[in-house]
Amino acid sequence: MHAQNAADVEQGKKLFEGMCARCHGVDGTGDEGPALNHPTLTRAPDDEALRTIIRDGIQDRGMPRVRRLTDTEISHLVAYVRSLGRAARPAAVGNAEKGRALYDRLGCASCHIVKGSGGSFGPELTEVGLTRGPAYLRQSFLGPAEALPRGVSPVPGRGFTEYLPVRVVTSDEREITGVRINEDPFTIQLRDSANRFHSFRKSELKLLDKEFGKSLMPSFRGRISDSDSDDLVAYLSSLRGGQ
Amino acid sequence: MNVVKLAAVVLVVLAPLNAAAQVTSDRIARAESEPANWLTYSGNYQAHRFSPLTGITRDNVAQLKPAWIYQVRRTGIVETSPIVVDGVMYVTEPPSTVTALDVRTGRPLWTYSPTIPTDVIVIGSPPVNRGVAILGNTVFVGTVHGHLIALDAKSGAVRWDTVVDDNKFGYYLTSAPLALDGRIIVGVSGAEAGIRGFLDAYDPATGKRVWRTHTVPAPGEPGSETWKGDSWKTGGGSAWLTGAYDPALNLVYWGTGNPGPDWNGDLRQGDNLYTCSLIALNPVDGKIKWHFQFTPHDIHDWDSNEIPVLFDAPLNGRTRKLVAMANRNAFYYVLDRETGEFLSATPYAKQTWAERIDAKGRPIRRPATEPSLEGTLVFPNIQGASNWPSPSYSPKTQLFYQAAREMGTYFFKGEPQYKPGEPFMAGGGRAVNGDDAWGAIRALDATTGKLKWEFKLISPPMSGVLSTAGGLVFGGTDEGNFFALDAETGKPLWDLQLGGAIRANPMSFAVDGKQYVSIAAGYSIFVFGLP
Repeated sequence: MHAQNAADVEQGKKLFEGMCARCHGVDGTGDEGPALNHPTLTRAPDDEALRTIIRDGIQDRGMPRVRRLTDTEISHLVAYVRSLGRAARPAAVGNAEKGRALYDRLGCASCHIVKGSGGSFGPELTEVGLTRGPAYLRQSFLGPAEALPRGVSPVPGRGFTEYLPVRVVTSDEREITGVRINEDPFTIQLRDSANRFHSFRKSELKLLDKEFGKSLMPSFRGRISDSDSDDLVAYLSSLRGGQ
Repeated sequence: MNVVKLAAVVLVVLAPLNAAAQVTSDRIARAESEPANWLTYSGNYQAHRFSPLTGITRDNVAQLKPAWIYQVRRTGIVETSPIVVDGVMYVTEPPSTVTALDVRTGRPLWTYSPTIPTDVIVIGSPPVNRGVAILGNTVFVGTVHGHLIALDAKSGAVRWDTVVDDNKFGYYLTSAPLALDGRIIVGVSGAEAGIRGFLDAYDPATGKRVWRTHTVPAPGEPGSETWKGDSWKTGGGSAWLTGAYDPALNLVYWGTGNPGPDWNGDLRQGDNLYTCSLIALNPVDGKIKWHFQFTPHDIHDWDSNEIPVLFDAPLNGRTRKLVAMANRNAFYYVLDRETGEFLSATPYAKQTWAERIDAKGRPIRRPATEPSLEGTLVFPNIQGASNWPSPSYSPKTQLFYQAAREMGTYFFKGEPQYKPGEPFMAGGGRAVNGDDAWGAIRALDATTGKLKWEFKLISPPMSGVLSTAGGLVFGGTDEGNFFALDAETGKPLWDLQLGGAIRANPMSFAVDGKQYVSIAAGYSIFVFGLP
């Protein structure tokens, strides 16, 4: 198989928009079919597996088999699909080593797991450099409330805001603030800042306030220098899982 | 005793049993008189999805408990709508399997799986099945490889197996056929592969095709002037959901799907009849008596296959025979079902594409709502304000219950390229989903479309609704909740988490004098009753 290049990706994009976008969404953002803008795809751990899925489909999930694509066209599609979930490695502006030291000093690990270590209140960051570009990474610590991630998993549902702060008041006047873990029309599940799960029936709450536009992650805007920010972005960008 | 006398005795002894087992079209036409059974896809020919049973009520529904659960044998999306006849429930499993279950226990009585080729072409939906039809002692199922198969209702043995059309070109079947006197009516899927849509009638006894009515006219036929050049050949207009029937007028009502390719209409200038329409046909010969096009020259994939619901109601001082449809394009339409005359259209969900609907029922489009290279945000979304899940009409409340989807899509236009049996859509969408999308169960005044109440959902639903004479409306959510609302007020009275998305239609039946409600969720079919 030949190496992926920009022209392949461009060819693949055209094919994707004609054949795949109805279910997978333009840019692979997902619709009736699953989102494909992940660094890793459950059913396609490697490119060969992805080729097989494009060629043979997944019968019981509704993914049709594509019959008349040439091997080259399938390669273009593979190149494009792989490009969707992988942020390009950014030009090195900051210093990743210094960024790592800053990450430790700021206590980020109290809420984030990297390679198995850290607290689990916030999102795991082991592969965040694969999924997020530098602009988003900078935003995530300078203005986290404006950068809450949108879910790609079925929990709580594709496209739902993750880590959404929610404040509830129970019928016995207890007030609990946490992030939304899951929700349906009748119930909501939260995790509070002590990382305890709570589950409520909505009909039994006095107040349910979904605080869109807020985040429980502190903003570091004005608290760290521009060069510190560059270093932190460089470190986060270097977190690319095992790859 | 001579042979003739012996035969007479045998006949006398067997007749009641056979009579009970025979599902005649007269029985289906009088479905209300035997509410313990559910004899056709939507419960009756008028497509009300209403149960006259009154065992489960507002007062006792809170005690509803699972009676049994059946798990399908192969994973896939379970969109089946069960049929219940005389103690047997007939369900379908993905992709095209039919199973008969004992309604008391959920134990399988027989199961039939057609051999589906590994290179089957299913473009435009997952490989699902939405249910069977029954007539006489025969069960009828359409398959994803484009066959219509008749099965013996007692054993699942194949009576006949007819190829509806060639799956190599993307023709396939997902919907429950409609069983009428001497006719099994079935519509085809495949517009996303650029098929030319049609509706067929088959002889129930032999499987021989009696007629075929194309939903896209050929050159020279009425309506062909609404297609440019050869575009009719790949014009789509699938007939992929089960229609309704008025025995008194002897007319079948059937919705038609989007024109092909979906999002680029450049090569198919014109209204593209009879896509995105409701057609009324004579079931004897398949002749179209009238048609009404909801979305001329559709470019948003807003099929009009939604269930047409028939009812009579006073309008401007006289009783009219009406047909209503909560269309995928977000308008609720009421037409005269004798003539097809347009009476009213009312938005029942957010829409940003039409300025208004004119006096003839034609939409006046807003500018700059076409799909574009950079994406155009339009409500409703690609899957529409409604889709295949059924609405319900209660003759008791005279309300039309609809699971409404509140969601937008950025519509993108692409280049159409037709290859037989390949996707032919020319574009796509970027969904505005998550917390920016939602849904509701809405109760509309059936005659005017005016909102009576709504019950909000956090995601656009893909579950149908059932109303009952017990004063309830049942519905489901993508999050897996099955619930009951007060049919008069929309107040929630009962809910249960079923552990998998509900993408199916609820129905109701009775056995041993006790009412049950059934719905599929995840990979299972659930039946609920009172303790």
